[in-house]
Amino acid sequence: MKPSRLHSAWTPWIFLAPFLLSFTAFIAWPAVRSLMLAFEQTFGPRTTAFVGLTNFRFMLHDPFFWTAVGNTVLFTVAAVVTQIPAALGLALLLNRADLRGRRLFRVIFFAPSIVGLAFVAIIYSIMLEKRTGFINSSLHSLLPAWDPDFPWLDHYVMPSLILAVLWLSAGFYMVYFLAALQNVPGELLDAANIDGASPWQRFRHVTLPEIRPVLNIILLLVVTGSFQLFELPYLLYNETNGNGPDNKALTIVTYLYQTGFRSGDLGYASAIGWLLTLVLVGLALVQRRLTQKEEL
Amino acid sequence: MLKMFSPGLWIVLLMAAGSSVLIALLPVPTHPGMEMWVFDPNHAKIARFIAEDWNHGHASNPVTIHLITGAAIQSRMMSGFYSDTPVADLIEVERGMIGQVFAGPVADVGFMELTGRLDRENLRTGINGPSFSPWTTRGHIFGLPHDVHPAMLLYRADLVEAAGIDVSKIETWDDYFRMLRPLMQDLDGDGRVDRFLLNASPTSIYYQEVLLLQAGGRMFDEMNQPTLNEPVNARSIARLATWYAGPGHVASEITLGGASSMRLVREGYVVGLLAPDWFAGSIRTSLPDMAGKFKVMPLPAWEKGGRRTSVLGGTMLGITKAGRTPEDAWAFAKQLYLSPATAQRLYEEARIVTPIKANWSQSFYDVPDPYFCGQAIGRMYIRLAPDVPLRPSSPYYGLAQQLLNQSVSQLCTYADDHRLYDAAALVPEAQRLLNEAQRQLQAQMDRNAFLRPAAR
Repeated sequence: MKPSRLHSAWTPWIFLAPFLLSFTAFIAWPAVRSLMLAFEQTFGPRTTAFVGLTNFRFMLHDPFFWTAVGNTVLFTVAAVVTQIPAALGLALLLNRADLRGRRLFRVIFFAPSIVGLAFVAIIYSIMLEKRTGFINSSLHSLLPAWDPDFPWLDHYVMPSLILAVLWLSAGFYMVYFLAALQNVPGELLDAANIDGASPWQRFRHVTLPEIRPVLNIILLLVVTGSFQLFELPYLLYNETNGNGPDNKALTIVTYLYQTGFRSGDLGYASAIGWLLTLVLVGLALVQRRLTQKEEL
Repeated sequence: MLKMFSPGLWIVLLMAAGSSVLIALLPVPTHPGMEMWVFDPNHAKIARFIAEDWNHGHASNPVTIHLITGAAIQSRMMSGFYSDTPVADLIEVERGMIGQVFAGPVADVGFMELTGRLDRENLRTGINGPSFSPWTTRGHIFGLPHDVHPAMLLYRADLVEAAGIDVSKIETWDDYFRMLRPLMQDLDGDGRVDRFLLNASPTSIYYQEVLLLQAGGRMFDEMNQPTLNEPVNARSIARLATWYAGPGHVASEITLGGASSMRLVREGYVVGLLAPDWFAGSIRTSLPDMAGKFKVMPLPAWEKGGRRTSVLGGTMLGITKAGRTPEDAWAFAKQLYLSPATAQRLYEEARIVTPIKANWSQSFYDVPDPYFCGQAIGRMYIRLAPDVPLRPSSPYYGLAQQLLNQSVSQLCTYADDHRLYDAAALVPEAQRLLNEAQRQLQAQMDRNAFLRPAAR
């Protein structure tokens, strides 16, 4: 073999080797191992017992698991119906050339996504505290009949989570929509305008079809991100290990974490993890199928 | 050969090789002798003080103390126990961490069993009996207890005494709420109560257990079998619901930790707080300006003649099986935990009383504390130490706590929905909720193949 041919044969592999090695060590092998674990009960790798489908069967009758599924699905639906319209609305607003100070607004709306969920959790828990929290003390000052001890975080568990994530994410997805809106051909909008289309008709029949690929990606990101919700409830409801009052904040990933890393039941946690993976892959496939149909 | 790859690729390869060699040559920090992991700064300070003395006499096997956060200790400890990654010779384990250690077969517990040593050296009888319970699984003791943590009631003496209330006449919780009721006042004229009598709520996961244990309830029996639905638990949570729910509720919670919660404590939002010894020490450190405003008293009993204390929190010292010099580790553990010097520093630094009965006669426990209006709180806590309730070491303890909390929350909602604030009337619903909680707990436990009698 000539040096030049050897060169071309080996070079890609050498460049790929670090990725392949780390992918095998940290992604592929753990995935295979966790699939095996889902059929075992373990106390560390030395003490294992094959239990077949027991973990999956137990999951079907586990009220904690189903509470977590219910909460997660509810959060996901709420996230989709709040985050996407809010992000798109902000983007449409900030895409207007006649809006003064729009660069400043972009920074203001995007800023929460820089701080991260842990910071949001801390801010929210301080703001919503009874008596000394900003919300309760302000409401009590404005309306003396307002109960300063109103337990927002206990009474409105899911709305608190939805609102916190909305505040964090709307600005982030707004940036995607802004980029997409700026690529909508101006001549199409002008033509629609000349044809007498109303603003809603221009949005519905020109803008929306043009930004649909980005909308689909954001939809996928919101759904998968919502199914992985963990840090926020874990920090906001730290006193109850992330479960919240009456388990109203318990999510699938929080339950997986508690099962695997607090109770040490890695077999059951792996089964939960694999089910979550299957659900996410399924949702991604459904969405892909729907997108392809629309494109056709 | 040089022409086989492009110059860019050669640079990448050389950088990769060079950095690999550099990393390989980096010195790995090693500590001669033994290592001990501690999660609490106060415990670390005391352990370092004792270790200094030990290291003078054991130059060939000194001990190094590492202060590590609890969560990190738990992860590293369990990794070590599961898969032989390096762990310390001695580890201080907090109550919430131990369940995972005991979730497998007894033979696989990563700590050395101490039952035989304690009996051979006649140490067991010298240590407060109930303090062993969280560190004992299936009849085997795996840790030396660090503390007792009896609970008392920390109350705002300035407010109570200004109202002319004589707490010595309080014997039961009913007495407490009745006599202190005048303190539940609307301070700002908005028609709402601004001061409550007890710091607790349906969501306070730890206080539920403290009060349940005091009432004679329990979540597990001596064999670590679940007992969530025992009638005494149903009666207890029915009474708790009457404290938490309804327009006349007497308890409200300050989630202790941040500056705003300390502000509420300072302002007297709650008159009484459930206070194990460590909590009294922590309040003393966190609110130095409140000196002379707090006092402690034994918990009011649930019934006349009932238990006047409970328990919250706890730490043990375990000797890992992976340690190279277990005999030295055991000798150091005894020097650290049994010595009068440790007992004194523990009390003086953190107001924690030792479980070592021989040290209870030390005079420093009798020194009046100006912070607590001159009360010798050490002596008061020690008097209650033998009465602290037994606690389970079940790996399902956290889940049981969660289910108990859930039942109390649901019972409060039921009480509000039905405007039912009479304890006796709430008992049937309490029993129903606890039956369901018990069923869920039992189902989770039944899944554990390693805890079945045949696998023990």
